[in-house]
Amino acid sequence: MPRRTSQREKEPRADDAGKPIGIASTERDMTARNREAENLRRLATVVKDSNDAITIQDFEGRITAWNRGAELMYGYSEEEALARNIKQLTTPGKVEEQEDFTRRLIAGEAITSFETQRVTKDGRVLDVWMTVTKLVDDAGKPIGIASTERDMTARKREAENLERSNKELEQFAYVASHDLQEPLRMVASYTQLLERRYKDQLDDTAREFIAFAVDGASRMQRLINDLLAYSRVHTRAGEPELVELSHVLGQARANLATAIEESGALVTNDELPVVMADPAQMVSVFQNLIGNAVKFRGEEPPHVHVSARERDGWVEISVRDNGIGIREEHHDRIFVIFQRLHNRKDYPGTGVGLALCKRIIERHGGRISVDSEEGKGTTLTFTLPEGRQEDQPT
Amino acid sequence: MKQLVDVIEILLVEDNEGDARLTQEALTETKVANKLHWVEDGEEAMEFLLRKGKHANVPRPHVILLDLNLPKKDGREVLAEIKKDPGLRRIPVVILTASEAETDILKTYDLHANCYITKPIDLDQFLKVVKAIESFWLTIVKLPNSRSL
Repeated sequence: MPRRTSQREKEPRADDAGKPIGIASTERDMTARNREAENLRRLATVVKDSNDAITIQDFEGRITAWNRGAELMYGYSEEEALARNIKQLTTPGKVEEQEDFTRRLIAGEAITSFETQRVTKDGRVLDVWMTVTKLVDDAGKPIGIASTERDMTARKREAENLERSNKELEQFAYVASHDLQEPLRMVASYTQLLERRYKDQLDDTAREFIAFAVDGASRMQRLINDLLAYSRVHTRAGEPELVELSHVLGQARANLATAIEESGALVTNDELPVVMADPAQMVSVFQNLIGNAVKFRGEEPPHVHVSARERDGWVEISVRDNGIGIREEHHDRIFVIFQRLHNRKDYPGTGVGLALCKRIIERHGGRISVDSEEGKGTTLTFTLPEGRQEDQPT
Repeated sequence: MKQLVDVIEILLVEDNEGDARLTQEALTETKVANKLHWVEDGEEAMEFLLRKGKHANVPRPHVILLDLNLPKKDGREVLAEIKKDPGLRRIPVVILTASEAETDILKTYDLHANCYITKPIDLDQFLKVVKAIESFWLTIVKLPNSRSL
């Protein structure tokens, strides 16, 4: 509660009937004014101690105020700064920009925040996010520019690094898919040709050896292709759009038709919502999850059920099966690329499927988790942003 | 009227000797009499097609098997040049490559490739490529002007 400076007794005012309608206005004004002064003092402290650089310059660029954040960011003490012009902090390429927004501010234009660059005392170039406003005196006469600058250099570099490493990963994947497959094809093709042409001259052992060589090569090809798909989740994705999950599920089922038929699996679903997502990637997620449910089946014919519920603007999708289940100690491992829990003979696969699902769901801002016990089936649940009509691009 | 040729002339543009040999072996298993002409890069492919230099006396191929990733001039450039040339663009081009990258597929169809085949790792599947070439052979004999150029 703000302190009251007035020592006077309160003088309640009453209407003609004697009903109180307020307190003496003089005191109320004093309190309001004091509160304002207090707020200004607090704001001044915030400005002074802010980690953002907050500065004031006149229209010629002479620096007239310089907070602690500016000292830390640019390396000039307040004293040094006040003797300088803002141009000394401007990179050569941004001089025109500085002149331009000064002119526009004087003309009365409101300028939103923008990204620019500044030079520190020791010559480092910083990427900063700048907000500029025109300052006026009590008479409303423009007197200068207040500027708030946030150092974005580290964040920007991080974003650039991430983008670069995604690109490098895809580049690697392309090389892997093409250059590694070429020698692989040589191994597989020529061993097969050997078998084809010289079958009569080979004994059972020789044919067995050839079978191992061919199997190894084709397994490696599958690994390479899966790795390629994994690496492309970020770089080759489409923009999210409104997607009817029931269509996506239908597509995934069609792709798995053979496996579903052969296992006698029953795939059922609740009514499914519309989400914001990349449709091709959603097909891939359902195909992997349902494919797993069918592959890791128990004694009973597989039953896979897809359900959905909405929660705080998010859609939660669950794929539940009656398969062999996963022991709790393995729950984290299943989402790691190339991790497998079974031998290849019983359950073939590359160990990429769930890692791919996780990467896709996380790219959409969602989460994926597992709920399972050995012998009691598995439920994989993921979240996606809800699709609303206004999200539809026109 | 239709006039059947005795031998199908095939131009193979392929930098990998192992793949070239494999194509040759696969072609020996087909019933169609064929002659395989092998060049190792895109520049030589264009010299062959335009009968330049040492290729002055080569026959005009009935079908071209084109790898995409080639030294010097790559397969996409070769394809674009073939399809721009009124004298060459009717020759069916089969893209043969290890790349499953979807951009490659779209780009080569944009450039009017007649067929796109990913080199299969399995020999039996590779032999199907030969069958595809046979079907092109049937297409060729039905094209009235294909050999008059």
